[in-house]
Amino acid sequence: MTEAPVVVAPGPDRAPRPRRGSRVLAIVLVATIAVGAYLWLTTVRWQRTATEWEAKAQGYADEVGSLRMQLDGANSELQAARDQLSTATSRITDLANEKAQLGDENVASQQYLDYQTQVSGAAATVASALGQCVSGQEQLVGYLKEADQYEPADLIRYEKEVNALCADAEDANQALQKELRR
Amino acid sequence: MRQAARRRAGGVALVLALTGALGGCGVLPPLPDPVPSDIVPTSPADLSPAAGGDALSPDGFDAVERMAVRIRNVGCEELSTGSGFAIDEHTLITNKHVVADSKDLEVSTYDGHDITVGTTSTAGLADLAVVRTTDPLPSHPELAKADPEPGDHVTVVGYPAGGELTVTEGEVKGSTRDPLNANLGEVLLTDAPVEPGSSGSAALDDKGRVIGVVYAKTGDDNSLLVPLSTLQEMLDDDTAFTPASGC
Repeated sequence: MTEAPVVVAPGPDRAPRPRRGSRVLAIVLVATIAVGAYLWLTTVRWQRTATEWEAKAQGYADEVGSLRMQLDGANSELQAARDQLSTATSRITDLANEKAQLGDENVASQQYLDYQTQVSGAAATVASALGQCVSGQEQLVGYLKEADQYEPADLIRYEKEVNALCADAEDANQALQKELRR
Repeated sequence: MRQAARRRAGGVALVLALTGALGGCGVLPPLPDPVPSDIVPTSPADLSPAAGGDALSPDGFDAVERMAVRIRNVGCEELSTGSGFAIDEHTLITNKHVVADSKDLEVSTYDGHDITVGTTSTAGLADLAVVRTTDPLPSHPELAKADPEPGDHVTVVGYPAGGELTVTEGEVKGSTRDPLNANLGEVLLTDAPVEPGSSGSAALDDKGRVIGVVYAKTGDDNSLLVPLSTLQEMLDDDTAFTPASGC
């Protein structure tokens, strides 16, 4: 078997190479334009966003500045209030102490007054006892001048009574003198 | 003709693919998000209170100052002063020797208010006394859980020499036998300065809890405390305190 000869049918001529290159260039150009347009749009949007953010940041910065000033003012007032509170508590402590000391002095004065009253009462009692002693002794002297008119035993008894009275008065006087020397 | 249309479509697809690829790969910047109309700040988690905020109280006085009282013992012949502290709204703790031989007890607070006294009881086995008041007391501390250890910080608040309310500090040096034989068992020795008039002062730990009651001063300027354990034992024993006899 012999093979039949291959006959190539005549066709249209192939496109020249430069036309394909121009198509590629055109595609690249379109792509570049598309990317460029996207970049332009992005840039515009970012610029607008940046402007808005900047305005917002400026607003917040102003607010922060204002709040910072208010905080400084509040801190100053707080410090002043703390100082005043400290002064007030110190003053309260001082006043409480002064009141306590005055109370102590009042109590001490009252106790001293009570003591003085007791001493005065004791002095009056001693003075009265000494007075009775003197009266008794004067009476005894009178009796002794007219001794013949009285019973000797009565005179002796009266003398003992006067001596006892005077001894008690003297003891009371000694105790009073001792108390007064304290 | 059909081939040319196919090529044009392929070109557009290539452009779109290129653009998409460039944008998708991050070569091209994305469009910005819209600016929010309001920005809500997040609160800082570790925001600490302002300096000095822990010292706030109803009237500017510390709790340790508010619970201390000054006691004036008006005896039949003489006058003496001491200190005390509240353990509840109507109960004061002080020393037995502060309220001894009394005709009248006068109690005043840190701000000079007078407190009316009801009854007074004294312990037989320790230099402790309990004073019940009819007026409410401004503040009272907690009792600690246990006696302090040597080296622990101690704060004493009272009225030394009957003067101003004073807070002194020191540390626990250890326990010792009571040199005055006024207490059963051992007592605590600290170097916190005290004076006559400080008797009955509360000794507090770092948390402001009672760890003892001052009752004496040693010759070398140390202070002696009735320990918390003794105080607790006495308070838990209904028979430990008996009504005080006046002068």
